[in-house]
Amino acid sequence: MKEKAQVSERFREFKAELTSRPSIVLGMGLRGFLRMLSLKNQWTIALVALIWLWTLGFYVLLSTGDYPCENLFGGDSSENFKRCQPLVYYNDLGLGGVRLFLVTLAAISSSGLIANDMTDKSLHLYLSRPISRLDYLIARFIPVFLLLMCVTALPNLIVYLNQWGDAGLEFEWIKNHKWLLLDILILGSFYSASYSIIGLTFSTAINRESWAAGAFFLFVYGSAIIIEIFYLMIGDDRVLLLSIIHLLDIIGFYIFDTQPFFTAFGIETIDIADIEVFGVFILIIGSCGLFVNWMISQMEANK
Amino acid sequence: MGSTLIEARNVIKKYGAVTALDDFTVDIPEGKIGILGPNGAGKSTFVKIALGLIRTTSGSITVLGEDLDRNTVDIRRKIGYMPEHDCIPNNMTGVEFLIEMGLVSGMSLQSATQRTHEILGHLQMGEEKYRKIEEYSGGMRQKIKLAQGLIHGPEVIFLDEPTSGLDPKARQEMLETINGLTEVSGTNVLLSTHILQDVETVCDHVIIVNNGKLQMQENVKKLMQRQTDVIQVRIGGSTEDFVKHLKKSGITATSGSRGLHVPYVNDKTFEQIVDSAVKSNCQLYEMERATITMDNVYLEVVD
Repeated sequence: MKEKAQVSERFREFKAELTSRPSIVLGMGLRGFLRMLSLKNQWTIALVALIWLWTLGFYVLLSTGDYPCENLFGGDSSENFKRCQPLVYYNDLGLGGVRLFLVTLAAISSSGLIANDMTDKSLHLYLSRPISRLDYLIARFIPVFLLLMCVTALPNLIVYLNQWGDAGLEFEWIKNHKWLLLDILILGSFYSASYSIIGLTFSTAINRESWAAGAFFLFVYGSAIIIEIFYLMIGDDRVLLLSIIHLLDIIGFYIFDTQPFFTAFGIETIDIADIEVFGVFILIIGSCGLFVNWMISQMEANK
Repeated sequence: MGSTLIEARNVIKKYGAVTALDDFTVDIPEGKIGILGPNGAGKSTFVKIALGLIRTTSGSITVLGEDLDRNTVDIRRKIGYMPEHDCIPNNMTGVEFLIEMGLVSGMSLQSATQRTHEILGHLQMGEEKYRKIEEYSGGMRQKIKLAQGLIHGPEVIFLDEPTSGLDPKARQEMLETINGLTEVSGTNVLLSTHILQDVETVCDHVIIVNNGKLQMQENVKKLMQRQTDVIQVRIGGSTEDFVKHLKKSGITATSGSRGLHVPYVNDKTFEQIVDSAVKSNCQLYEMERATITMDNVYLEVVD
């Protein structure tokens, strides 16, 4: 009895020490990321493993000199290869890239993040906590972004470190290739962030996890195929900006300061003004952000 | 009466052409306050505005002394919220869910875990707290929903229709739980409902809202006291004459939903009513000391 009374007293006197908003958001994001890597998410784990195995397989292939960089960049110098490899990584399977797996992983991992909160309406509970709508979106963005970084920037960083090892672990090598390191990180972040934002948009728009994943995949891959057919018919490079895959690839080439190309019907170089490329990208990502924000604000106002 | 919990001044909230709150001004004191009103009266809108989830069209509102125009997010550290609808993720256990809500409120893992077990102890949940929420009964789900609102030790909890959809037994249990938990934790309550008995059972103050306007604000005990000490009179003939004769005897009658209300002083009041009816040539159809509940007050105010 006395023990019970003590518990009640403590319960009554309870004053929570609450942490700051950034810590809440980061905590939510990291917990979400760890949940993604739990064994319950077999498909996610399987895809991450597949991407790593695929990368490893092609890296072995690289050492045999069969990697298609020479066709893409000309010549066979190792410097060309270093610039080519991280770019080709995001390309078609035929080039040793992981695009198909990457898009599938982005679709699967992002589709449930907001959709499930909307379906079971727990979104209302999250938004009644001391976090804003934007905080909530960042917290849902972090898990899928980190997961995608594990299959974008991380494998390329390992390849980079491996190349450094081949160069005898000389610090001079790092100094000479510091821009390559930065480009690898920027490129990985760019692909991860873009697919995360688009994935979260589908998760918000179609609040059923499996449908959202399917729609994301069809939108990204389906539009690419249709746009390539249009490109063949019209012959204008700007058509390619309407495909997410091609748009991201083109910006990826800019990050690596390389002439953009695409490989659907042989290797074709692309010539589009920078402002058009970045304008379309900002328009798409901005629209996604505004749409998600609007959808959630509607949920806030309604029961 | 303690200090003011919520202070609303000329609040207007419009959803397109619909005005949910119309020049709503109220001072809500600390304690357990019920907001009563029919469906669509503006109760939930007011709660959501007070929670900072939606903005007013015009007017000002302060919660716990903080202006909501300036501080919509951080104020939620001091507020708990239990939404009306089912909004609990089914795939978590009761313990996991409450800990997650604690963490999202900004608590540390240790503090959230400890508080979760204390609250669940008060809710007398045994092993079922480790079961998935999808296996919970309606009553248990409501209790968990209440617990998540109290997890971070808020100064006030907003309860939106907490007994909605419960059978009479579960409803009674829920009301007892609300009373017990808020009593032991010393939390102020703002209970929005259209069920009068909920207010009678839980609250010490009531606010009646209709068509987005404040209709009445009163202490529940005083209100019940006042309403019980009334004789309900129904007469045929000239009501004016009857009221005049009563007034000569020093009694002021007011019109109610079912006839006239005459304040009961003692049993002599009945004789005075009969005398007045005789003098004014009115037929006395009904004369009854009313055992009026909140229902009568509510219907009078709302009608």
